Amino acid sequence: MGRLKSGQAGKKFLAVTGLFAMGAMLLLPIFVALPALAGGGAPAAGGPPPDVVAAQEAEGVEGEEVKVEIGRDVYYKTEGPVIGAPAPKTADTEEFYPRYNFESRVLLWVANQQHLYYGSFVLAVPIFCMCIEFAGLVSKDKAMAKKYDQLAYDFIKISLTAYSLTAILGGILIFTFLTLYPAFFGYLSSIFRPVMHIYALMFVAESGTLYIYYYGWDKMKDGLLKWLHASMSVVLNVIGTVLMFLANSWIGFMMSPAGVDEQGRYLGNIWHVIHTALWNPLNVHRILGNMAFGGGVVAAYAAYRFLSAKNDEERAHYDWMGYIAMALGVAFLIPLPFAGYWLMREVYAYRQQMGITLMGGLLAWLFIIQATMIGILFLTTNYYLWQALGRMTGGERFQRYIKYFVFILVVGLLVFITPHTIVMTPAELKAMGGQQHPVLGNYGVMSAKNGGINAIIMTTIASFIWYQRGNRVPAVKWAKFGNIFLITFFVVAHLNNIWVACYGYFIPANVRIGLSVPQVAGTLSCLFFGSALNLAMLKQSRELGPIRWGQIAPRSQYALIMLATAFTWMMGLMGYIRSSVRLFWHVNEIMRDNSPWAYTHTIGFGANVISFNVLFFWITILFVFWLGALGAKKAPVPATQPVPGAAPQPATGH
Amino acid sequence: MTWLKLVEGYMPMQMISELAGSILVFALVNWALNRSGMGIPKFWAGVGVWIYIQLYLKYRIYPPIPFSVRAIYGTVSACGIFMWVSGSEGEWQEFKRPVLNVMDGISGFHRGMRTVALIVIPLALGGFAYNSFLPSFEEPIELRTVHPAPPATTKVHGKTFVLQVVENPYRVNNEGKYDQAYTDARIVEQAMGRLMKDVNNPDYNPWDPNAEGYIKYVREGGEIFFQNCHFCHGDNLNGRGLWAYAFNPIPANFTDAGTIAQLQETFVFWRVSKGGIGLPGEGFPWASVMPPWEQHLTVDEIWKVVMFEYWHTGYYPRTWD
Repeated sequence: MGRLKSGQAGKKFLAVTGLFAMGAMLLLPIFVALPALAGGGAPAAGGPPPDVVAAQEAEGVEGEEVKVEIGRDVYYKTEGPVIGAPAPKTADTEEFYPRYNFESRVLLWVANQQHLYYGSFVLAVPIFCMCIEFAGLVSKDKAMAKKYDQLAYDFIKISLTAYSLTAILGGILIFTFLTLYPAFFGYLSSIFRPVMHIYALMFVAESGTLYIYYYGWDKMKDGLLKWLHASMSVVLNVIGTVLMFLANSWIGFMMSPAGVDEQGRYLGNIWHVIHTALWNPLNVHRILGNMAFGGGVVAAYAAYRFLSAKNDEERAHYDWMGYIAMALGVAFLIPLPFAGYWLMREVYAYRQQMGITLMGGLLAWLFIIQATMIGILFLTTNYYLWQALGRMTGGERFQRYIKYFVFILVVGLLVFITPHTIVMTPAELKAMGGQQHPVLGNYGVMSAKNGGINAIIMTTIASFIWYQRGNRVPAVKWAKFGNIFLITFFVVAHLNNIWVACYGYFIPANVRIGLSVPQVAGTLSCLFFGSALNLAMLKQSRELGPIRWGQIAPRSQYALIMLATAFTWMMGLMGYIRSSVRLFWHVNEIMRDNSPWAYTHTIGFGANVISFNVLFFWITILFVFWLGALGAKKAPVPATQPVPGAAPQPATGH
Repeated sequence: MTWLKLVEGYMPMQMISELAGSILVFALVNWALNRSGMGIPKFWAGVGVWIYIQLYLKYRIYPPIPFSVRAIYGTVSACGIFMWVSGSEGEWQEFKRPVLNVMDGISGFHRGMRTVALIVIPLALGGFAYNSFLPSFEEPIELRTVHPAPPATTKVHGKTFVLQVVENPYRVNNEGKYDQAYTDARIVEQAMGRLMKDVNNPDYNPWDPNAEGYIKYVREGGEIFFQNCHFCHGDNLNGRGLWAYAFNPIPANFTDAGTIAQLQETFVFWRVSKGGIGLPGEGFPWASVMPPWEQHLTVDEIWKVVMFEYWHTGYYPRTWD
């Protein structure tokens, strides 16, 4: 027995060592390529540009002290040697903006968005695979372990075809940049030269790891090899995340440039160029966004397979898959508004005018549309969970209270989406007696909106708790006390939320911003403490009956498809907002966009292009789904027997 | 409903409470009717609640809510009602039954209803299409940007101000140093009207002859306001001045939580200095006739009047941490 244990420990040690070795080798290029990591503006390893060297040689200054021009970083305010060319001053000519008889910006917009959709999907799915494969590995129940393993395999299978498409779309994107915006792309690549090479190397590493991971699934299914296989998913995700961070540095630089002087000349510190004011908030926001989006797409895949299933076994499997994907997606959706809040806060801190353009000015209405989409996501999630109660014996005892939850959700959403700038005719404006409505105007500001969204999130958490209890009744001794405590906890959290939202009108703005902390704390307490308490109560529970996987109303599956579509639409919208906030700049305040398309589109036009992108993505992803089904090697594990025990818990409860 | 007033200062919560109260009453009535075996069919309950919400929004809330917002509210409430009536399979079947009964024509009455529906629905759609094609003489809707983004810098009387960092030179404490907290503590109180914290104290009452420092500058700002601004913005700063109704929209209401309370002091300084004519492109349709006050006031006078507006409304300018 002891030998067996030491053998397992040895295997785990080997697996972990292997994991770190692989990670270290793959990250090596970054450390090699960044000699001036966070340095104080040391000159680049390559020295001055060739034209400067040639000029120096012509003047016979070899060996003499060379006069180096010093520039001042526009963001970090540090000084460094000027070693790059200034940002090109473009004009509306074919030289700078070659074009077809069509708006180049829209072509770039579509290419960029499609690449992003697929990129997000293939970055998110391996993270799910990692979680699910590990869940299978540590599961003591062999049937469950096999189901988890099958599910992780199903996930990665979907992402494999999408992966090639991502690379193809990346190529199309680069060609679009090179052919339609050569001056801008030339400048960007001159700044990010080493980063782009590392990016390409990481992409190669990602591809290699992904293929070994996928094709090695059956070969590496037992013992040490299985652990190595699971470890490989960690490496895969580390590479994927670094890839995304690097790509984010480019858009971060375009929005909030650093590492260059006022003319856009590179000052030799690549870390400053990467680590701009908005890089980290963008990184966090995008990771969470990708995860939520990936969960949504996989859930839609499962819904599609559920609706087209030919027998109960398939229906049961895809019902379960849809539930897991939805739960994972929503687990990342819940913290997403907080990450978004942080990003906006940093935007305001970076440039007030950028923040006002986004939230109060030109693009404010797009944020109302975004708020609507967020509301749809949460409402749909709740709806799915209520439908899912229907497949559990005992779930019906919660359904009679749905109307009260609906009321809180609807009121929260109405407050959340009430516009500050109301669309109206001049006659309506006159009847209203001013630009601000005395009643609804109060819903249009942040204090009320924070209250609205927190009420929605807390209600969603309560729905999750309902779902966890669907077919079970707590049997711990303190169950009655626990229930009273849990209900009181949620009621107090809601009251606190409302009170803080009202109090926010009577205090200075900087204090009001701080008030979001108790609101968020209340919501997060409901999430972590409420879920933990509920799980503790369900440790000893009486089961009212099995979960009848597959026996769920088709409406629930349409809800999953809607969830995924709303994610896709919202992602397109937010990408457009983030990009268009630069207004007429390629690189904010450094390189001006002088193309004929340097204006902000109307909301209607923007919405149409976003809808086109969403439609295009879903048509192509359906093709990917179809391909995935074509190449199916493994049949789903028979699920005639219901999953033993409880429903799989959403990730939030883990 | 003049007997039941919306109380200023409490209106947003009053509206939500009234809606919550009515939904609760509906639920109780429905429960009682169900108990006595006379429950309202789900279909009619859903339709009834939706109609009630629309009527409430149209006739209870004053001033009237613009159609675009009512449309948003109507759609969201319809979604909510759908979620309610289809929350469980049993309820969904119950909700659908009257519609399916009419479509299936299970009795003479239902067949009659079906015939009426088949005639009325196309006619209604045709009427809707016809109306939307009729020439309209209504003014087009406007999507006005109330707070256009300010420039990074603005030049007033030959001096450049960086709006992100510049501070009001008169927002100072007794030592003459910029002090937001000191001045915040001396603005009027907001609860149920605007009251000075201590009328007899020269530290709080700008019109006390012994007022000094910040509070004296507030008085000077007030004098400038009443000489120049109150004709439009009103003596209570609520946008209802003597000339206000000559304009559409009427001048900004500073007592509303959505105007100066949402802005940095530097934004207001820029807006006052440059007036309607200085609005940037995104301020379209530039529906502001405010004169560029830099042509009439000095920089110091503009700072003082801005400070007075915050003092008088009891709002604090937005600041960074």
